[in-house]
Amino acid sequence: MVWLAGPAAVALLTLFARQVGANATAAGVLYLVLVLAMTGWGGWPAGVMASIAATVCLDVFFIPPFGTLDIADPGDVAALASFLAASFVAARLVVRSRRQAEEADVRRREVEILYELCFGLFTAGQRPGVLGEAAARTLSTLGARAGVLVLAPEAGGAQEEPHVIGEGQPPLDPAALERVRDLRSVLETVEMAEMTETAGGERVVYIPLLVGGLFDGVLVARGAAASRKVLESAGRLLALAVERERLLTASAHLAAVRASDALKTSLLRAVSHDLRTPLTAMQLTLEGLRRHLAGIPEAAAGLRDLAREQERLTRRIDNLLALARLEAGVARPHPEDLPAGALFRSARESLPLVLADRPVEVRVARGCPDLWVDPSLALEILVNLLENAARAAPPGALLELIAGPDPDAPGQVRLEVLDRGPGVPAAVKSGLGLQIAAGLTAANGGTLVLLDRPGGGTIARLTLPAAPYA
Amino acid sequence: MTRTVPLLLVIDDDAVIRESLARELSLAGYETLTAADGEEGKELFARHSPDLVITDLAMPRADGMAVIAAVRRGEQGAAHDRSERTPVIVLSVRGEEEDKVRALDLGADDYVTKPFSLRELLARVRSQLRRSGRAGAPDVLRFPSLEIDRARHTVTEGERDVRLTPTEFAILELLASHAGKPVTLRQIIATVWKGAPATTQDTVRVHVGSLRRKLEPDPSDPRYIGTEPWVGYRFLAEPV
Repeated sequence: MVWLAGPAAVALLTLFARQVGANATAAGVLYLVLVLAMTGWGGWPAGVMASIAATVCLDVFFIPPFGTLDIADPGDVAALASFLAASFVAARLVVRSRRQAEEADVRRREVEILYELCFGLFTAGQRPGVLGEAAARTLSTLGARAGVLVLAPEAGGAQEEPHVIGEGQPPLDPAALERVRDLRSVLETVEMAEMTETAGGERVVYIPLLVGGLFDGVLVARGAAASRKVLESAGRLLALAVERERLLTASAHLAAVRASDALKTSLLRAVSHDLRTPLTAMQLTLEGLRRHLAGIPEAAAGLRDLAREQERLTRRIDNLLALARLEAGVARPHPEDLPAGALFRSARESLPLVLADRPVEVRVARGCPDLWVDPSLALEILVNLLENAARAAPPGALLELIAGPDPDAPGQVRLEVLDRGPGVPAAVKSGLGLQIAAGLTAANGGTLVLLDRPGGGTIARLTLPAAPYA
Repeated sequence: MTRTVPLLLVIDDDAVIRESLARELSLAGYETLTAADGEEGKELFARHSPDLVITDLAMPRADGMAVIAAVRRGEQGAAHDRSERTPVIVLSVRGEEEDKVRALDLGADDYVTKPFSLRELLARVRSQLRRSGRAGAPDVLRFPSLEIDRARHTVTEGERDVRLTPTEFAILELLASHAGKPVTLRQIIATVWKGAPATTQDTVRVHVGSLRRKLEPDPSDPRYIGTEPWVGYRFLAEPV
């Protein structure tokens, strides 16, 4: 059709030119215009055919002798050859500019596709959110009928089923998925169309989702019409959407964690306040009563027991609240420099009733570095160990507190609580205080071990960090 | 002050603590006023000008911080009326150490931690009343077996002369002239280093560490410079 259009048009123009009595020059110009028009309309084939037909007609009808292909004047041979060459070149130029226009058009359409995709993925609504939706949008923008989104495990797709979009799911070829992951470029396969007469098949593309060198997964699309470049860009855009979804999820999670931390903090504060207020009232009342009733021995003994129990209750509550705060992660230890001797003294002062009739010996090695611990946690650890030792040891037996640089580990201080009780197994059984001490020690960056003491009894050996400056 | 018996204002929203404190403090020889929250506390303070304030921190209607701020503000306004500042002792709770430090930086003078013993509180009250009655620190600070001459920059501990660097002396002077009172790290930086921006709390700790090694007979169990967890330091010896 295209091939015949040129000669047909040339014939019509020849009739017209002869009718108006055009000379060779005028006819040549008319033919040239026609060749340009035909090339513009029908491309290279139409242009070539029109050129040849026009050259023949020019020769036969307008160059003497008329009616034959012969040429009388040698100058006319040159003119005719020039005409042929000119029409070819002109056709060529038209073809090239036409192709460029077409390419520009394709590019424009591609840019439009990507822009539309970009807009759809990132601005439509607050959250394109569900990844399946984002993938569906991508597929429809690319002109694909159906597809599957497979997320890489690191992008949060580990337990997730692949998102299937549209009717006629393309086959997921594991080998192809592997290759896309390794090569990180678009892979095209052709799926044989079943039960159809048309030869060939449908194009299936595996589009890697890449962003910043990270591989987020693969989008498998069936029947996508877009070019490779567009597919790759679309893959990047979808990868960005996947990343964004992941970050949104992570930040929502973070916000939830923060909110729950704030809740834990205020809850612990409330509990702490509600437990300590009555304890304070009890303590003040007890002290008053002890003073008023000092003259009545029975009352004094009872009040003394009551005071001891109140003291113990206070310590347990302190222990549990400290552990709860640490476990809830709302209070980090607050390390400060603390001289070992000062810690020992505070610990003894915290147990006035427990240690009332028991000798305690304190030995701090000369040059023992200061501890680098949270002072209140360290005090709690030591009070627990001391209380445990006091409970285990026979009444009136000596307790020893020893501190010195750790001989096995530089930068550490070793604290020991020694008793003459029944030894480790019994000490471990006595429980809660020791568990709490161990938990608090770990939070302070130290270790706690129980050793059998030569000659009977237990050594509770505490290793804690030394202050960084001597 | 024309009063012969010191007047103490106790502010706490817990009735049992408030009443038993008032009772025990009267038995110890003080006159007391009580308020159930910060607003009432501020009113009573303005009306009666007590000699010392004991306040809880967490309370409905104006908390302890508001009370401290009001007490300190009132003094600025009526400086001619009062020759000295009114000591404020804060009742703090364990686990809320930041609040304690904030209260001290805001102008509180001392604290006890709930549950506290009456003996402890009475000791703090005595120490604060004694301090507030003194007019300025003398040139020579004297403690049992320790003498600090502020004019000549010399320190004598027991029989020995203690040689200190100017920074160590400045820290010692600051702590000793506030004997019995906790001094926060921020206050130390502000006074000794004039708030120089590069000064960190670690800088203070390093200097206090070397001060202790020179001054204390047993640096591992300080007799003079005690550590106040979260807060800073407290000079432990009582002035002679």
